[in-house]
Amino acid sequence: MIYLWLKALHVAAVLCWTGGLLAAAMAIAARPATPEAIAPGHRAAIGVISRWDRRVTSPAMLVVWGAGLALAMQGQWFGSLWLTLKLGIVLALSALHGVLSGLLRRAASSQSSEVPSWLRHAPLPIVGGVTAIAVLVVVKPF
Amino acid sequence: MMSPEQRTEELAQLQRMRAISLIEASTLLLLVLVAVPLKHLAGLAIATRIMGPIHGLAFLTYVWMLIQLVSAGGWSRSEITRLVLGAFVPFGGFVNAQVLARRQARLATP
Repeated sequence: MIYLWLKALHVAAVLCWTGGLLAAAMAIAARPATPEAIAPGHRAAIGVISRWDRRVTSPAMLVVWGAGLALAMQGQWFGSLWLTLKLGIVLALSALHGVLSGLLRRAASSQSSEVPSWLRHAPLPIVGGVTAIAVLVVVKPF
Repeated sequence: MMSPEQRTEELAQLQRMRAISLIEASTLLLLVLVAVPLKHLAGLAIATRIMGPIHGLAFLTYVWMLIQLVSAGGWSRSEITRLVLGAFVPFGGFVNAQVLARRQARLATP
């Protein structure tokens, strides 16, 4: 019974986390290349997404990790290849979230438009990572 | 120029970073100085089975917050190196907490 509740909590947190992560990635990708080109609307959107990141997306990531590790222990999944691969992808997405979160803070507090070029493509690996995780968890091919 | 709200947020971020730095350092000491000797000298393997994951989570949280802090900018290469190395060395987290406290004091001074 507790396993199902943990699973529900984990899935809910994953939805909140990946939604917030995509919003952060899109906001950073849409950051104009020059400070003069930054419209007031974009600045306001960055402020809102940065606050959302602090209050919802980052706590959701902590719940994803906590509930996910508890599920893996309860279900005795540690040692399965699919879980090892999934953990690697989640670690990479978490690191990407850390970078995006820091950049959002900087963008919200300054006029700097400096965004590493590779981050302009960040939404793509997020979608790819989440898709790979869904396949690994549902199909458990390994 | 930082607005008062941004300064408050920056200070809160440094405060959180100091707290996780102290937690990471304390759990590393408990693991190395208490749990590991208990396992090898008293045969209590449960000590490392409990402290290992606790320190692991504290370490991951510290690394994640460090990535966020560094990505926000304003840190020199030597400061970043010190903050990274401190996570791997016993007592290093306490030194990092001092570095963060100094930064906090500088930022709090108008």
